Formats: sequence, structure tokens, C-alpha cells
Amino acid sequence: MWEWRGKSKPALLEISNQRESWYTPEACIQFKDHFHAQVRSACQQRNTGTVGLKISKVVVVGDLYVGKTSLINRFCKDAFDRDYKATIGVDFEIERFEIAGVPYNLQIWDTAGQEKFKCIASAYYRGAEVIITVFDLADIQTLDHTKQWLEDALRENEPGSSFIFLVGTKKDLVSDAACERTELDAIRFANEMQAEYWSVSAKTGENVKEFFSRVAALAFEQCMLKELEKSIGRMAQIGAGNLIKLEGNALETQENNSQANLSCC
Amino acid sequence: MAVAGSGLRGPPGGEGGGGSSLTMERIRSLTDLPELEAAYSRLCGEEKVVQEELEALLEQQNTIESKMVTLHRLGPNLQLIEGDARQLAGMITFTCNLAENVSSKVRQLDLAKNRLYQAIQRADDILDLKFCMDGVQTALKKEDYEQAAAHIHRYLSLDKSVIELSRQGKEGSIIDANLKLLQEAEQRLKTIVTEKFNAATKEGDLPQVERFFKIFPLLGLHEEGLSKFSEYLCKQVANKAEENLLLVMETDMSDRRAAVIFADTLTLLFEGIARIVETHQPIVETYYGPGKLYTLIKHLQVECDQQVEKVVDKFIQQRDYHRQFQHVQNSMVRSSAADKIEPRELDPILTEVTLMNARSELYLRFIKRRIISDFEVGDSMASEEIKQAHRKSLDKLLNNCLLSRTMQELIGYYITMEEYFMWETVNKAVAMDTCEKGQLISSMVDDVFYIVKKCIGRALSSSSIDCLCAMINHSTTLLESDFREVLCTKLKLGFPATTFQDIQRGVTSAVNIMHSSLQQGKLDTKGIESTDEAKQSFLVTLNNVEVCSENIMTLKKTLENDCAKLLSQGFGGEQAEAKIESCLADMAAVSNKFRDLLQEGLSELNSTAVKPQVKPWINLFLSVSHNIEEEEFNDYEANDPWVQQFIVNLEQQMAEFKAGLSPVIYDSLSSLLTSLIAIELEKVVLKSTFSRLGGLQFDKELRSLIAYLTTVTTWTIRDKFARLSQMATILNLERVTEILDYWGPNSGPLTWRLTPAEARQVLALRIDFRSEDIKRLRL
Repeated sequence: MWEWRGKSKPALLEISNQRESWYTPEACIQFKDHFHAQVRSACQQRNTGTVGLKISKVVVVGDLYVGKTSLINRFCKDAFDRDYKATIGVDFEIERFEIAGVPYNLQIWDTAGQEKFKCIASAYYRGAEVIITVFDLADIQTLDHTKQWLEDALRENEPGSSFIFLVGTKKDLVSDAACERTELDAIRFANEMQAEYWSVSAKTGENVKEFFSRVAALAFEQCMLKELEKSIGRMAQIGAGNLIKLEGNALETQENNSQANLSCC
Repeated sequence: MAVAGSGLRGPPGGEGGGGSSLTMERIRSLTDLPELEAAYSRLCGEEKVVQEELEALLEQQNTIESKMVTLHRLGPNLQLIEGDARQLAGMITFTCNLAENVSSKVRQLDLAKNRLYQAIQRADDILDLKFCMDGVQTALKKEDYEQAAAHIHRYLSLDKSVIELSRQGKEGSIIDANLKLLQEAEQRLKTIVTEKFNAATKEGDLPQVERFFKIFPLLGLHEEGLSKFSEYLCKQVANKAEENLLLVMETDMSDRRAAVIFADTLTLLFEGIARIVETHQPIVETYYGPGKLYTLIKHLQVECDQQVEKVVDKFIQQRDYHRQFQHVQNSMVRSSAADKIEPRELDPILTEVTLMNARSELYLRFIKRRIISDFEVGDSMASEEIKQAHRKSLDKLLNNCLLSRTMQELIGYYITMEEYFMWETVNKAVAMDTCEKGQLISSMVDDVFYIVKKCIGRALSSSSIDCLCAMINHSTTLLESDFREVLCTKLKLGFPATTFQDIQRGVTSAVNIMHSSLQQGKLDTKGIESTDEAKQSFLVTLNNVEVCSENIMTLKKTLENDCAKLLSQGFGGEQAEAKIESCLADMAAVSNKFRDLLQEGLSELNSTAVKPQVKPWINLFLSVSHNIEEEEFNDYEANDPWVQQFIVNLEQQMAEFKAGLSPVIYDSLSSLLTSLIAIELEKVVLKSTFSRLGGLQFDKELRSLIAYLTTVTTWTIRDKFARLSQMATILNLERVTEILDYWGPNSGPLTWRLTPAEARQVLALRIDFRSEDIKRLRL
């Protein structure tokens, strides 16, 4: 049930059980050992709705040159390019998962950090299940700016509909002591933003996979819950208003059965 | 004893494993009788074993002997073979020696040949050198620079070691002098060519420019030649661009192309550069080799950037682009209408910006294609690393050129302005919403989708995928939140419930009342008028919602086709298709939201307008006794007690909806209505009692009801009335037991929708059926 068969990445919900270096209890928005019971049972019964593939939209924002594209490239292509190449407008990656036996996609929108692209990039914030605000651990100013970035992104989304992550990049560039100091500030920010905080390094790959696995697991659970809620709502509606309709379906099956019987005779 | 002795000694090297385990010494040292006896018996046992082994060996003697005989017979043959083999070996050695002799001679010959060739080559080279020296002098004297350059080229391509070697020869001093002359000549030629080229450039003498441009690579001055040549080309581009810009400044505002004059100017600039690339690419390729186009275009791009900057600066200045953007930004924040910028004023400038971007994209794509194909020819043998480096430098050129950056900035502003344009215009359309009489939908739906289509279409015409997707996203947001909110608010007002009496009077009488009250004065009419308007508005909104949902899907399909066209032309990066797909999927999801809204509206209509009226009509059934005799049955025949009036009422009510709703929604509504009737009628039937004739009467009533409903709905309604029909069948039975003819194995094609308990319940409604009989039934 916990295997991600495609990638063999662990789904990181059992976060409280692990005492890994990436784990910062103060900066966690939720602790739980498992997916929501409804989601679990739905996954087991393969009762995951009729609508095709589950997709969640992830938007990555932050100042220019903090390493948004590098972070995504490390995860999606397992590559790191030393040369800085500014993102133009928006870039886009799809990462495929299989969580608890259900195929699942993360659609990652990598926005440009440059001011001149703000108009174009902000058009892509809408409908984001996950907002990842990125800053540079070596540049404290970029942390200050994350609030503005988040505010912009939240404006285009319904309140409370998105998971928020705060990510400090370029961990390899700062000393452990400096990192810890910055992390204290970052965790304070994260608490104010209602975000979960992570420190990563795209260059060394430290925590990158774990981070995205966590993103995928949380987004997947939310996506499934939403879907289940919808289908339950639909059922309720049918039950109350269209009693006959339900019976109609029953009749159809009955008719099918009788036809089968007939053909037997 | 001898056997024992040999056995006791044991085989040499063995540890007594095969022979006796007792040594002679050990036996000798034995004194005790039992020990002696034990030793003896052991020796006896060993002797026996040895005996057996010997026998086995003796048995093999025969076979061994026969084998020996055959071996003896083979002897002479072997001697023969040995002789032959020796002879063969001798021959092989001889041949081998011979071959080595021959090949060593061949090798020597080859060496000699190679040396000879080298000698000839060197002689040739030396001759060439001499020839070059003479040739250069004469060519220079005759001002035949091509010839001179060819000589220099020959000299430059000579092996330096050859020259070095020749200098060491007997005539070293002469050659040294000659070489000096040659080098001098080379320098002189270089200066002359550069001077002449500069002069030709100044005069704008293209044949001369091209002439000297061709000489540069012969002198090993590829980079210099390219840069000087592109300098010349840049100057031409600049001149032309300046002229064009002057023309722009003089253009009359009434000119047909005045609205897009800056886009036109950019187009002229790009076309000029493209033409230059097109005409000069063959020369560059022939004289400089493939892979050099990049250098040329890199130089040209610098000039292009400068000219673009000028044009765009003029554009920004002339069209007040930045101020307009500021104005739009302020208008978005402020809500007071007075300060707001009129969206219509933005229309031309938005079109022009998208056109400018489209031209730039086209130009950049042209350059990209040219450079890539040129690199491909040059890099066919190159390593992957070099190819990668070339690709990177190309990307850098395209992405970092001022043209790209300028256009990105313009498009950034454009998005905001286009978004504003769309919102404002849509708001206007909503505010000006009217519904013509007889129209199912109001004007705003068509207007809004026209506007959205126009805005997305304009973004599409910019050829920038990011810009297009951004506008699709903005449109989706607009439709999903704001426009849907407008419709939602209208639906929330609800469908005004009409009182029971109103319905009794029917629609016609309502109209009569309206007319009469109109004559009396306006005050009284207001109530009815506004109710009527509210009803109309609700129905129109329902239609609007449905059309919106469909329009979104149509829009999505149209956009899909348009985008496919754009992508097939090679615009957009690797992920362009996925980006568009994702944005369009978001848009399609909005269509479902409208569909949900429609369902909400319909059930609202059903529960507030249909149900409260239909229910009392059905309840009237209870007031008509179905416990009747022949006489009453006949009376009912003449004066229908219930169903006819019910149908008339239904017809009147549905007529209102049929006129005001689109066929699809009307269908859904009638489907809801039939379900409602079926449920409610079932309830009242179960509350009534029936005689045999009463059952017949109910059957008749049900049939006419179903017949009527079949005519008004397109869906089959038999399903919904299946339970009721079966109840009628039961109520029509002669005897209780007759049901067994239809039940269970006798049911034939009929599928019972009533449970056995329900069947009993219905049977019990017949007053003439005894409950014991019903109880006794086995269902």
C-alpha cells in the first residue's frame, strides 16, 4: 500500500515516525501516520472515482535566482546545471507517480522570478493545490520577499484550498551554523504563512526527493478527499431527488439478468 | 611370509593406507599373546584383500595383452607418419622463409615509395613556396588580390615543418629571404585588403565589399572578415531602419496602416535582416565554411536589437504605452467609474502589441532554424559536447537578445491590459444585459463569449504560448468566478412561487388581470409585473447557464484547433502542448461547474414552482372515491372527476416553461416533473380504497395520464410509471389468486418492480379482497 511503484519513493505521511535530518517538527503543518481512512479504503477498493487521472497543480514562486528551476530539474530530471538561465514566462513539468496503487500526476508550474514576467506568471497561479514559495538560504532578503510572493499567489486562489510550502534552497552554500540561524527565521515565517518548511539543496540533491514526495502525498490525499466528497454528494442527491431513477438502474440490471436467463433457456 | 612382508612394508609413499597398518617393528615388539593374535588376524584379513586385488588384476591381463598386440601392429604406421610430418614441417619452414624474404622487400619498397612521396611533396612544397613568392609579388603588382590571397593561402596551408626543413638545406639563406618576403607580402596583403574593404564599405560598393570579404578567409582572417562584413551589413540595416522610422513619424494618422505602423516597421526591419541573411548565407557558407552563420547573425543581432529598441521606444512614446499601463493598473484598483480608462481605447494598442510580438517570434524562429541547420552541416562530425555548446550559445543568443527581452516586457504589460480590457468589457456586457422577447437567452451570454473569444484570439495572434495560456487562465477565472457569480446571484433570487389561485386561473387569466390592472393604473401592476419579470429572468438565466456551459466546450474545441495549427508551425517550446492542454482542461472544468449550477437551478425550480402546485392537484385524487359501483363508473365516464382537469392544469403550467426554457432544460424539467408525479401519485393511491370498478377507473386514469406525459416528454417515461402501472394491474384483478398468473415463474417478460410485501399492500386496497386470501398467497 505504501509503495510508489513507479519511482519507489516513499510516501512521506508517516513523518512523525521519522527522525531524519529533513524533518523539522516546528515547521510541519500536519502530523499523521497514514492517509485519511476514507482515502485508504477507497484506494484499497479501487473505488477512486470514475474521472480519469488525478492531477494536482503545483505552483513554484520566489525571487529570481533562488533556484526554483534547479529545484524542479533536480527532482524531475535528476540534473543540475551550474549555468544560470533565467526562466522565461513559465516552465512546466509533469511528474508521474503511483500512490497506493492509484496513478497520480503532479503538474509543476515553474514561474519566472523576474519582475517583468510577474504579469504573465501571476496568470498561472489560479487553481493551485500546492504553492511552493522558494528562497535562497544564502540571501536572507529573498526570505523577506516570500510573503509578498505568497500573497500574490493566494489572491488567485480560494482561501484554504492550497497547501503552502516554504523552501530554503542552496543548503550546500551555507555553513551548518548559518543554516540553522536562517532556519529559525524561516520557521517563524512558515508559521505565519501556515506553511511547512524545508531546507534543500538542488546541487547535492539533499532533501529534494523527500520534499516532493511529501508534496505529492499531501496533495494526493487532498485530491482524493475532494473527489470522494464530490461523489458522496452526488450519491446523496440522487438518493433524495431521483428515487425512481435509481430503480430504473436496478430495473436495467434486472432486465439484463432476465435476458441472460432467456439466452440460457 | 614374503607376501606378508611386502604387505607389512606398505607401498612407498603411502601411509599404510593400501598396505598393512602394522610395521615390522611393531610386530617384533609384540610380546603379549592376545595382541599377537589380534595382529595375526589383522594381517590375515589384509592378505585376503591383497589376494582379491591380485585376482582382479590378473583378470585384466587378457584385455591388456590384446591391447598390446594392437599397439605393436600400429608401430610401423606411426613411423611412416612421423616421416611425413617431418617433411611437412620442413616445407612450411621453407615457405615461411620465402614469404618473409618477399614481404621484407615489399616493406622496403613501400618505405621507399613513402619517402619518395614525401620527397616529391616537399619538393612540390618548396616549388610552391617559390611559386607563391613569385606569384604574390606579381599578383600584388597587378593588383590581382584574389591571386595573391590564393598564394598566401597556399603558403599558410603548407606544413610548417617543411619550411623549417627547407631552411636547413643548402639553400637555406635564399629560402629564408624568400620567406621573409612572403611574410611581408602577407602583411601587406592583409593591410591592403582591410583598407580596400573599408573603402568599399564606405562607398557602399557591394561587389567590392563582397570581393574582399571572400579574400579574408584565404588569409586566415575568418573572424575579422565576418565581423567587418557584418559591420557593413549592420550599417545597411541601420540606414534602412532609420529611413523607415522617419517614414513612421511622417505617417498620417488617417493612413490605413496607422494603427499598426510600429508593427509594420518592425516587420520591415526583420524582413530586411532576413533578406540579408538569405542573400549572404551562400557566400559565407562557400568561402567561410558551414557553422559560421551563427557569428554573422550574432553581429547582425546587435544591430537588430539597437533598431528594435529605437522602434519600441518610439512606440512606447507615441502610443503612451507605459502611461496607459499605469492607468490600467490604477483603474483595476480603483472602482470609481470616472477615473477608469475606457477599454475600447485600449483595443488598437493591444492589437498592435500582439502583432509586434508575432513578428518578433516569426523572425526569431527564422533565425533559429537557419542557425540550427547551418550548425548541423558544420557539426555532422563534431562531438556531442561541441553540439551541446553550440545549442547553448544559440539559446543564449535567442533568449538574451534585447529583442526578446523587450518583447517580453511589452507582453507582460499587454497581459495586464488585455485582462483589464476583458473584465471591463464583460462587466459592461453584463450591465447592458437585455433579453428580447421571444429569445431564450439574454444578450450578455453571446456578448461575454464574443469578448472572451476575442481576447484569447488576440493573445493567440501574438504567437506566444505563455501569453496565450495566461489569457486562457484569466478567461477561465473570469468565467468561473465572476461571470458564474452573476448568473448564480440571479438564480438565487429564485423563481417566485405563485399562489394556488393564480395557477387555478391559469396563465391566460393572469395576463387578463395584468391588462385590466394596466388600465387601472401602474401601481397595481407592479406586483404582477415584477413577479412575471422575475420568473422570466429566472428562466432566461437557466437558459443562459446551459448555453454558457456549451459555449465553453465549443470555445475549448476551437482553441484546441487553433493551438494545434500554431504548434504545427513550430512555435512554442517542448512543453508548449502540455501547457496549453492543461490550461484548456481547466477551462473545460468550468463548463461542468455551469452544468452543476444548472442542476441546482432546476431543482430549485422544481421544488419552489412545480412541486407546491402539482402536489395539491394530485391530492385531489383522494377526494374522488374509487370505491364505486356501475352507476358511478358510468357517471365518471361522462364527467371525468380528476384526471382531465389534472392534465389541463399540468399543460397550462408546463406551457409557461416550455415557452421560456431551452428544449434541453425543458426536457430535464419534465423529467423531474414526471418523477415527481409518479412518486406523489403512488402515495395517494396507497391512501385510497378501490372496488373492482374503481380499479378499472384508476387504470383508465393512469393510462390517459401516461399518454399525455408521453406526448410532452422526449424521454421514455414508462420506466418511471412502471410501479404505478403494476399497481393498476393488481387493482384490476378479478380474484386474489389471479395475481399468481403474473407472478414469479409466470411473469414472462414482465419484471415486477413491487416487492411481495408491496404487492400484498396493494391487493389490500381492494375492499372486495379478503385479507385471509391475501395472507394465504405465496409470493
